[in-house]
Amino acid sequence: MRLAIVVQRYGADINGGAELHARYIAEHLAPHASVEILTTCARDYITWRNEWPAGVEDINGLPVRRFPVARERDVADFGRRSASVFERTHSLNDELAWLDSEGPTSPALIEYARAHRDEVDYFILFSYRYYHAYHLARALGSQSVLVPTAERDPAIGLSLFGPVFRGVRALMYNSPEERAMIHAVSGNEAVPGVVVGVGSNVPTTADPLRFRKTFGVLDRFMLYVGRIDENKGCRELFDFVTRYNARDRVGLTLVLVGQAMMPVPAHPRIRHLGFLDDADKFDALAAAELLVMPSYFESLSMVAIEAWGMGRPVLANATCDVLQGQCLRSNAGLYYESYEEFAEALHVLLANRELAAALGRNGRAFFARHYSWPVIERAYLDMLHRLGGDQRSTAVASATEVRPGWFARRRRVIPSGQSQLARLAAGPVRGTALDAGSRPHSTRPGRGRHR
Amino acid sequence: MAQFNMRTDAVDVEKIMHRIRARIRDKRGIDYTDDEVRELAAVQLERFLDPKAVRSDLVEQYQRRRPPVTFESFDNYAFEDDTIYRSSRGGFGSLVGWCRRLLNPILKLFFNPGPIIDVLHKQSEINTKLAGSIHAAGRQQEARDALNFEIFNNVVVELTKVGIEVKNLKMQIESMSSRLDFDERRARALEGAVQYRPGVTKPEPPPQPTAPATDASDADGEVARPKRRRRRGRRRGSSRSDSSGQPATPAAGGESAMGGLAGPDDDSHAGTGHGQGPDPVTPASMPNPTPATSTTPVGGPSDVERPADGLRGATES
Repeated sequence: MRLAIVVQRYGADINGGAELHARYIAEHLAPHASVEILTTCARDYITWRNEWPAGVEDINGLPVRRFPVARERDVADFGRRSASVFERTHSLNDELAWLDSEGPTSPALIEYARAHRDEVDYFILFSYRYYHAYHLARALGSQSVLVPTAERDPAIGLSLFGPVFRGVRALMYNSPEERAMIHAVSGNEAVPGVVVGVGSNVPTTADPLRFRKTFGVLDRFMLYVGRIDENKGCRELFDFVTRYNARDRVGLTLVLVGQAMMPVPAHPRIRHLGFLDDADKFDALAAAELLVMPSYFESLSMVAIEAWGMGRPVLANATCDVLQGQCLRSNAGLYYESYEEFAEALHVLLANRELAAALGRNGRAFFARHYSWPVIERAYLDMLHRLGGDQRSTAVASATEVRPGWFARRRRVIPSGQSQLARLAAGPVRGTALDAGSRPHSTRPGRGRHR
Repeated sequence: MAQFNMRTDAVDVEKIMHRIRARIRDKRGIDYTDDEVRELAAVQLERFLDPKAVRSDLVEQYQRRRPPVTFESFDNYAFEDDTIYRSSRGGFGSLVGWCRRLLNPILKLFFNPGPIIDVLHKQSEINTKLAGSIHAAGRQQEARDALNFEIFNNVVVELTKVGIEVKNLKMQIESMSSRLDFDERRARALEGAVQYRPGVTKPEPPPQPTAPATDASDADGEVARPKRRRRRGRRRGSSRSDSSGQPATPAAGGESAMGGLAGPDDDSHAGTGHGQGPDPVTPASMPNPTPATSTTPVGGPSDVERPADGLRGATES
């Protein structure tokens, strides 16, 4: 089997969610198929500036073919176009212009894939909202397997993505919530799909004492791993931690691991360790009482899965349906919607070691059941083999929806992305298995993010 | 937290979250969110500033409070010696200024501009200093007003929360009190409905503070009925209970006291001899009616010897 993984950035040091996801999938499918990566020369996800040379290079034994980005992102232009399509009634042309402005615009990548489609069985496209995924899904529908990595933001409400979700050969969802959301916006239930997620190389042993000695973290702490950014809910987290430590006699330290995109408060109970390698990160997880996930928007949260793999409970922001759903499905995490719930849940976890240990055991079992690499690889291979023998889905995917004509594309009749997002049902999907369950009757208004 | 001790297989995150949220509601006292408490507090704040309660125009004044005057940028004038000679005509103005200076001595024949220049110069300096002071005072006032309002608001919010909590505590106390009353009434009713086996001595009720002392008060504390002397056959093989309520062993040669057993169900006791005719009552066979607090074991010889005051039945020795 010949596979091409297409992703906006690729590199051994690229740690963005979707990019890391793509790299892990590529490296774990490589023993089972011939894998090539098609990507851009960009390293920075804001400007898409060409920093790597075009051409082929080898990364961890896999050929990576890079194509230059035609132009860097104009952040101001992208902001204006985003406001136009997310907040106002607009036309299909406005959406296409937004897509072009978002980037990374690489016509060379699209042309290469079209020209060499006969050399590849399936193109696994990552991140539905980017230039490469849209154009390749439309051009190579019957050979495309989409890994949407969709979050609950206004982009999902844009009309140009409906044909993408309906036109690909299969979808590999990260969570039941993502699947439910994409079904709701596009009506693509007929397209084969499976909830898979991604695994992680969780070590069997870790050394928490080494972490404590190395970084001088001697008291009890909760861990945050990821970009320290307002969009990740860090401002609210700092506020909650400060209030908790002011009220609670014992208190708890917050240890931050990751790059800071916002100022970290100078507080005796908040420590920022910067970016750590995997060994230190897992040692930190082993030493921590729990992992805290304050993010409002997640597609999967690999770090939460890693925490469960390490047998640690998770305290997550219930505003994010995916996180709440994962906590419920795994029975390995608590969630909060307000400061009181945050404080009370934290108190429960700290005061009840048995409960915390029980949640951790559940997390480990959940990880082994759904996110160990053999399970993930099996899911991908099963889907790909299934597609090979399923002629009906080939026919469905081959019938790519025709784009509207010149005048139709310019009519301002498409509702804003925000309004479409608000119509979607919210709430976690209940059920113990990743593939089971249905959306509850929650009528909580949809929340979105202007990216 | 004992309520969260559970085994791994019993862990249910959703139930734990329900309990956590219930705890938060209990702590808060009622199902008010933070926003609702603030809204309530805002209503109370309005009442505190109600014209009827405090002052007629305080609310209006507070709400239409003008911001204090500040001199962030104050354009003062400078008055120097040559100010009166300056011209605003650009290049030509310098020539005009020179001419004016030249004619200054003639100007002085009409009036002395010196004192005027002095005064205006000093006034300019005074203006600058005063503007600075007013600016600083305005800033302080602004900060103080904001602080006062915040303190005031916080006090009202806390008072609102305390008020809600007090109301809930009162309701809880009332509820507990009514439950206690109900339990007491139920206990009394159940005690009254108890049927004792034949020969079992009905336990004496606790002494009632207002009830008159009787020699043979019955178990439920009611005033003892007048004793009747039974004229029917003696009881045979009746078993009496001692004061602990346990069925007593048939005493050798002893009668046991029935004393104090009340209730219309005595006749239903098997083997007690009820309804078998009046027992011949003799002083020797009349057992001592068990006093309310007696712990004397039944069936003892001493019972036989003591005179009895009325009884419902007598046992055969």
